[in-house]
This record gives sequence, C-alpha cells and structure tokens, in this order.
Amino acid sequence: MVEEKESYELVIDEKIILVKEVIKDKEEIIRKLGGLLLANGFVKDTYTQAVYDRELVYPTGLKARVTGVAVPHTDTTHVIKPAVAIATLKNPVIFNGMGAPETEVSVDIVLMLAIHDPKQVVNVLRKVIFVIEDDDALKKLQAAKTKTEIKSIMQAHIQALTKKLG
Amino acid sequence: MKKVMIIVVCGSGVAMAMHAAYKLKEYFDKEKIYDVHIDGSGNNELPGRIEAYDMVVSNAQVTVSTDKPVFSAIPLITGVGEEELVKQIIAKVREILAAKNS
Repeated sequence: MVEEKESYELVIDEKIILVKEVIKDKEEIIRKLGGLLLANGFVKDTYTQAVYDRELVYPTGLKARVTGVAVPHTDTTHVIKPAVAIATLKNPVIFNGMGAPETEVSVDIVLMLAIHDPKQVVNVLRKVIFVIEDDDALKKLQAAKTKTEIKSIMQAHIQALTKKLG
Repeated sequence: MKKVMIIVVCGSGVAMAMHAAYKLKEYFDKEKIYDVHIDGSGNNELPGRIEAYDMVVSNAQVTVSTDKPVFSAIPLITGVGEEELVKQIIAKVREILAAKNS
C-alpha cells in the first residue's frame, strides 16, 4: 500500500536553527534539534529517539574538506512535514563515520533531516546535501553569528545551485 | 545492449542514496554511458536484492558477503576523493558492459 503523503516544501527556518550551540556530545545535539522539530510540528514524538537509535547503527559523520558535518536522520514514518534543522556548534563533538562506524569524525555543523517523502523534496534536498562539498558555504556557516545568517547562507547556496542545476 | 545494474545503498532513509544515485547518473551521462540502471535500497534489503545487480555503491557498511564490486558512496557526498572514485566506477562499468555484451 503506497501512502499518499501531502505535498510540502522543505523548510529551513530560524525556529529550527541553533548557532554556536554549547553541547557536550552528539546525543545532546540530536535531542535538542529533534525537540525543535517536534515543537514546530515537523515530526512525531517518536522521531528523536529513532534518529538517535539509527545514529548508533548507521552513523552519519562526514569528513568534508573544511570540517566535519553530521546528517542525522531516520525513516519517513516518523516525519510529518519535511524540514532541515541546522546547528553550528561552539565546540566540535564526535560523531562516528558514515559507512565506517568504528571511525570518529569531529563535527561542528549538524544538518538534521526530516524527510516525509523523498521524491517530493528530492530537488531541494539534493542541494542541501551539496552544501557538504561547498567549502565556501561551510566556512560561512561556521562563521555565522545568528540564525538568520545561517538561514540566508543556506538559501543563497540553494539558489545558486538552482541556477546551475535547475 | 545489456545494461550494467547498479544498486546504491544507504543505512535506512533514502536521502543520501538518492543524492549519490543522481550524481552517478550525471557522471554517466557526461561520459555518454547510457546502458546503466541505478536502483536505491536500504541496507536491510540488500541481501535479498543483490543477486540482480552487478555493482554495489554504498554509504553504509556492507555486511553481505559478495564477489561483486562494492564502492563507498561517501566521496560522492563529501567531495573528498570523488574524482578518483568516479574514475574507478566508470572503469568498472565499462569493464562489465564489455563482458556482458561480448
């Protein structure tokens, strides 16, 4: 049975952004961002635990050229509306490496993905993921001092890619 | 022309696999390699599906034991080592295409 999911756009918004957040470990930032997504109606209350559980089995730490980026997420069943919650961290924390769980990646940018139906948002989602290989965008995110700055950086990056890729 | 069947695998939740699959398709198009078919899969489904494929590209640790070529999809996401990976994949695809259609 194919569930017909309602049509939504992928949201990036100050309400689900944290800047230079002080945290002690990856669990803390997963719970914080998950909490914001829940409070703002994007995910079900099972989402945060599911993201955390998945991170233990299929970690999402990625060593990009500029810094470590983590992309925690979970199955679509826990998501109501699509969004990307973003956090930059004051001090990096360890996530384990995607595809290599025994390795460690020092992460200071976290992109938590809430995807309800990948086919609907694939165009924008791809551009979000492309930020990981965009040295300039990552540096700007690291330097950003406000939530609005972070949102603008992401939107500018997405717009630039839309010009290039459509 | 028999196609090369590629399965792109992620842990669960298809976002990353889709990204890698799209990227590969773009590289193949650039190289004018059109006889490829790419499917996405969660890691849990891989053991049941792998038989139908010639090549695995994965960003999750592949636990099923296989003789088929397995590549990491991570460089397609981080950009680190991407050129080298794509060269290897394209070479392997050409090799498999030649073998399948000889």
